[in-house]
Amino acid sequence: MSNTSAGQGELLGDAVSPRGKLRPRSSAASKRWQTVVVTGLVFCALVSVFTTIGIILMLVVESWGFFSDDKIEIWKFLTGTKWTVGQTQGELSYGIWPLLSGTLRITGIAMMLALPMGLVSAIYLSEYASKRTRSLLKPTLEILAGIPTVVLGFFAVKFITPYMLEPLGDFKTFNATSAGIAVGILCIPLVASLAEDALQAVPNRLREGAYGLGANRLEVTLKVVVPAALSGIISAFLLALARAIGETMVVALAAGSTPTLTLDPRMPSQTMTGFIVETFKSESVVPGTLSYFSIYAVAAVLFLSTFGITLVGQIIRMKYREVYD
Amino acid sequence: MKDSVAQPRKHRSVARRKLFNNSFSVICLLVSSLAIVVLATLLIAIFSTGGNWLSFEMLSGSHRENNPEGSGIGQAILGSLVICSICGLVALPIGVGTAIFLEEFKPKGRLLRIFHGLVQLNINNLAGVPSIVYGILGLTAFVYMFGAFSPIRVNDQPDYEIGATYFYQTKTLGGQYVRFPAVPLVQPVIKIKQGQIASKINGDKFKLNVVSASTEKSKYANQVNKTVLLGTEAKLSNRNGNQVYEANTIGGEPFVFPAEATYSQFAKITDPITVSNSNGDTFSLNVLSKSEPIPTDPTILAQSVFADSPDPNKRSSASIFRENSLFHLHLPFSKSVLSAALTLALVILPIVIIASQEAIRGVPQTLREAAFGMGATRWQVVRSAVLPSATPGIMTGAILAMSRAIGEAAPLLAVMGGVLGTTNHLSSLMDKTPVLPVTIFKWAGDENQGFEHLAAAAIIVLLAFLLLMNSLAIFIRYRYEKKLS
Amino acid sequence: MSNLASSTRMNQSRSILSNTIPQASPATLTPPVENESIAIDITGFNAFYGSFQALHDLNLKIPNQKVTAFIGPSGCGKSTLLKWCNRMNDIVPIARATGSLTVGGRNILTRSTDVVDLRRQVGMVFQKANPFPKSIFDNVAYGVRLHYKTSRSELSDLVEWSLKKAALWDEVKDRLKRSALGLSGGQQQRLCIARAIATGPEILLMDEPCSALDPASTARIEDLIFELREQFTIVIVTHNMQQAARCSDRTAFFFDGKIVEEGATEDVFTRPRKQQTEDYVTGKFG
Repeated sequence: MSNTSAGQGELLGDAVSPRGKLRPRSSAASKRWQTVVVTGLVFCALVSVFTTIGIILMLVVESWGFFSDDKIEIWKFLTGTKWTVGQTQGELSYGIWPLLSGTLRITGIAMMLALPMGLVSAIYLSEYASKRTRSLLKPTLEILAGIPTVVLGFFAVKFITPYMLEPLGDFKTFNATSAGIAVGILCIPLVASLAEDALQAVPNRLREGAYGLGANRLEVTLKVVVPAALSGIISAFLLALARAIGETMVVALAAGSTPTLTLDPRMPSQTMTGFIVETFKSESVVPGTLSYFSIYAVAAVLFLSTFGITLVGQIIRMKYREVYD
Repeated sequence: MKDSVAQPRKHRSVARRKLFNNSFSVICLLVSSLAIVVLATLLIAIFSTGGNWLSFEMLSGSHRENNPEGSGIGQAILGSLVICSICGLVALPIGVGTAIFLEEFKPKGRLLRIFHGLVQLNINNLAGVPSIVYGILGLTAFVYMFGAFSPIRVNDQPDYEIGATYFYQTKTLGGQYVRFPAVPLVQPVIKIKQGQIASKINGDKFKLNVVSASTEKSKYANQVNKTVLLGTEAKLSNRNGNQVYEANTIGGEPFVFPAEATYSQFAKITDPITVSNSNGDTFSLNVLSKSEPIPTDPTILAQSVFADSPDPNKRSSASIFRENSLFHLHLPFSKSVLSAALTLALVILPIVIIASQEAIRGVPQTLREAAFGMGATRWQVVRSAVLPSATPGIMTGAILAMSRAIGEAAPLLAVMGGVLGTTNHLSSLMDKTPVLPVTIFKWAGDENQGFEHLAAAAIIVLLAFLLLMNSLAIFIRYRYEKKLS
Repeated sequence: MSNLASSTRMNQSRSILSNTIPQASPATLTPPVENESIAIDITGFNAFYGSFQALHDLNLKIPNQKVTAFIGPSGCGKSTLLKWCNRMNDIVPIARATGSLTVGGRNILTRSTDVVDLRRQVGMVFQKANPFPKSIFDNVAYGVRLHYKTSRSELSDLVEWSLKKAALWDEVKDRLKRSALGLSGGQQQRLCIARAIATGPEILLMDEPCSALDPASTARIEDLIFELREQFTIVIVTHNMQQAARCSDRTAFFFDGKIVEEGATEDVFTRPRKQQTEDYVTGKFG
């Protein structure tokens, strides 16, 4: 083949350019170069594969370091109601439930705020808003989504707690409510944008059909569009839930460093992420010690829950995309 | 007309339906506007707390314990910028490469297609992994490198290192610091390091475990013959013509390991040697014996030391120092700028990939056909037709990913610890540095209330950076749209 | 290579590019080719998308240096056949074909076919003008840069030549460095033709090149096709029967994945042998 191509090149060269012949490039060389490039691209793609493998491997191996310690029994970890790892005095207890319940409490408060507000914002943006209000609301949500979480944590502990909560009742300086509100604030844009995507994916012919029957905008929205976009909305909720569970800096600043097992939202409430940050902050992490290994055990629970929820959310999302694409 | 369907007796009042519709629309508007209220409150709160604290000194200074008025964020700004730049340099090519692979090189085979789909699912999932988990991964993979190398402690010489010069430094009688180059030597006695590979007398190799005296005996009871106490020293000896270090385990079993040249912590100065001072002048050091009188001439005094001084402030021995070049690297990376940047790169990688994929998907198929029709290979199509059109989208996504990186605190806290200030300037990738988000976190939690204002001021700076990056993204998008029309 | 050697080589070739170059010496002129020579030979050709068979057992000979039009209602498979002629269907993962499709004496459906080289010999112009978002010059130079190492002056000569061939030079010579997206639709399509002929193909495939253009631009492109037929073998897919009648030498009528009738354009339009063809060309369906 390259012979032919060479012949053609000379033909063209003679024909077109009196000053010299065009020298053909060998197509074999560009194919070899393509092979090199594709190999490089595969390696790029493998980075993310190895990241996942690395996370799982690390969590399994180092958590094993935690559970293989003579003092640790796995069922006590999964069922225990007291967590004292990292504290210098007192008896060692390592039940995950105070941390897990702390995470669930704060996540619950955050979801109570973010889900309705995010969904209503999404409905408004997708179905109601005029171009002008949209051009104001959309950037606001984008800016809100871009605010670093440490800033929201600062806002929670320095403003929400003293100015909004303490006048209302006996809230501790560090409490679950304030952290929950801040986590909720950072989840609103996420729910809003994902749910809006889902609403927008509903084809207009459905809306037109309903309007044609005499339905008004509210009826079209609530009885046609929202049900049609339901799986997308659920997936938005799940992704926001995973985000709230994994949120770190807000809870590290606003929720306090006391692991508690209570339903009282006014009490401090250390979460799984909060515990990990607290351990790193003290800079006493020495590899091989129990508190070092405990980070991995807690992180494994954290990773499993967020990864599982995200996975379900992604699968639902892929399903609904298939329906209308 | 008898066949006709019975009319519903009562149909819902149109007026009522209209009322519901209107009130819902109002509720929607109110709820949505709450986002604006929240944002405004947040900004007002932060500006009123920190606005007055912004000053040139605050922007250029560094952290001082218990002194918020004298503290600043100069080092933190530099640290954040350096880490984000390296992070972008790493994440951008890998992310764009992955996106090109996923979008433009879709395989035909069934098994490969499944693999392709799994990679895609995996990336979407990685985007949902909490950043603190990446922090722990960075700690394990970059800082400690899965324990494959001996851990680096303060003033410890790593096993694998380039770009560092070692020298001995001492203070002369005149009070000036002088230095002379250090040469690694086989030391007669060394302290045993954790993880040292040693062999027993019968030749069996094993990894040494170093425990501190306070460690409970039960923890190493079943491996006393692999364990030594922290600080145990090994002595140089000669075995079959090879130089080895020899010591005994807690269990009393002897072991050896090969002797290598290392730097000793101190060098005794006995002969006059050539030294240099901080100005770069070199001269021969004047070594005085104890019996000699102290010279009175300050120039001579500045170039003299006692051979053996009774006064600890006038040391006769010089201690080891390390000077790092810009390209200083060692394994493992330990808690350093490089570890932090690589960790952040992993955090933003899924974001870069997803944004680049969307940008690539947005390139019209007709452009690809045009290039294929001209006889371009798939890669040539990508390089010359797809990438140029996708670049603005990719750049916008990359900038947004970087703005995520600059605000991330949790992973940095994991891989560098809560560094607030360092005494040295950032000189190589192996140094630690404070960064803006971690500084804000530590100051927000400080008991000294003054730091609250400083944290707010630092937040204003951070938000300014974010604003700058977002404007850049909007600018790129705008210019591209203008160019297309 | 000496002048003599190259002219020998050219004599063997069917390419007539040399005719078109004013600077070329008379010695390099190629003698006229035989009318009967065949550019594309299709025998027993079947094409599939997944399990759907788009084309059934086609047999067709496309002559050299003639304009061959493929006509037929949408979905009849004419574009599919066109795209197989330079293997553009390779981009479609589920597309496959059996039988033989010979270009320049080689069956191009084999695995060993170098599609890169094939596409250089068989250029393509698409339904919708698709210039790259680059300058006009870079658009025309694109294929040349892919396939040849050229000096700057050779390249600009070649670009000028191609643009003149495509009857676009006078309109764009002052703005070669401007974006091609600033051109009108008809100009863009002529630019795409210039781009396709710059690499020196022997065959030009055109997939409904005028379907997105206004009548005036369409007329210019048709004139251009008429001129280019002297140097290239042109295959054009069209919905527009008048267009086929105006500018093609031969016509193949496709229906439902089969070729119903093929012959000289005049015959197909005025004396169709099949009822189906007559119904179509007289506008009873399609």
